[in-house]
Amino acid sequence: MRTSALYAAGALMLLAGCGSGSNTVTVEDAWIPAAPPGAGVMAGYLLLRNGSSQALRCDGASGADFGAAEIHRSVVENGQSRMLRDQVLELAAGESATLAPGGLHLMLFRPAREFKIGDKTELKLHCGSVTVTASARIQEPR
Amino acid sequence: MWDNEASIIPKFRATTRPATSDHPTVPSNRSVNHTVIAALAGATALIGGILLATWLNTPGTTTLRSGTLLQQPRVLPALDLIDQDGQPFTHAQLQGHWTLIFPGFTYCPDICPTTLGLLKTVQTQLGSRAEHLQVVLFSVDPERDTPERLKEYVTYFSPAFRGVTTSEPNLKAVAQALGVAYAKVPGGAPGEYSMDHSAALILINPRGELAGYFTGPFQADLLLADLKQVLERSP
Repeated sequence: MRTSALYAAGALMLLAGCGSGSNTVTVEDAWIPAAPPGAGVMAGYLLLRNGSSQALRCDGASGADFGAAEIHRSVVENGQSRMLRDQVLELAAGESATLAPGGLHLMLFRPAREFKIGDKTELKLHCGSVTVTASARIQEPR
Repeated sequence: MWDNEASIIPKFRATTRPATSDHPTVPSNRSVNHTVIAALAGATALIGGILLATWLNTPGTTTLRSGTLLQQPRVLPALDLIDQDGQPFTHAQLQGHWTLIFPGFTYCPDICPTTLGLLKTVQTQLGSRAEHLQVVLFSVDPERDTPERLKEYVTYFSPAFRGVTTSEPNLKAVAQALGVAYAKVPGGAPGEYSMDHSAALILINPRGELAGYFTGPFQADLLLADLKQVLERSP
């Protein structure tokens, strides 16, 4: 009983960890560029910091307003612009990863609604037993 | 204009005369020194002038910082494309202005919007000169990119941007003529495939000939400087 309460408290701390505090996994500057009307797919960008003492391995994503989400990477190889699926973010303790235009990004499929600049939507990164939640803001492309 | 480059390059003929030898009078040592100094000063000024003039006047040898101009523009075969309004887009739409073609597709949330956003920035910064530059998204994904879809997409970035495509096998032929390679890559669901495509932007001159390429990673300031140079070559 007492043990499970401790676990619950631990899980809550982990969830609450998004945004502040040390020794936690945090997400900063989560944003989604506004897309043309009727866009079937959007991109999500963020800065992921592994402030914990454990290595972090994120291999999945989801979004509250999207049919599906994946971790992708845009690359240019031999003059060809390509998109690589099924990317894994591996962060040692203390490391961070930047998802930004032209490289790593969250591929957000089938938006369930039309967004306006300033709207917010929840994105999640799935990292084994840890789920990192971020509130992403719809912004002008930058 | 491009194939007349040789005539634009400033010519510097050997119009200088030997300055010191065969002087008719026998000068004193002092005046010899003066003559030599004057000649050296004259020669230095001449060489400096030539270098300066060459540096200031090199329209025929435009070098781009983010791309390459072909020494000999390439004539393109007939382009039988459809634009975002369902209208034909052929050689006629390439005449009298420069055209920048961006190969891509609209089901692309990262690279394509980033590039079109950057081209919008460049277009804005070109000011009135932008009238002489047409920006075209050439979709290699006609299966999803109908004219209506293209219109929604490109006009979101700029009402002046155009979107064109065509069906197979014509797509392959046009892409080949433009030097564009593309390939369909399966995704997690049938409608969610991706397209690999050439990353370079294609520059077409006002005669509708392939004039060069811009290669990434694109930076607005470099592309702007290059396009200003290119547009100054307009007839």
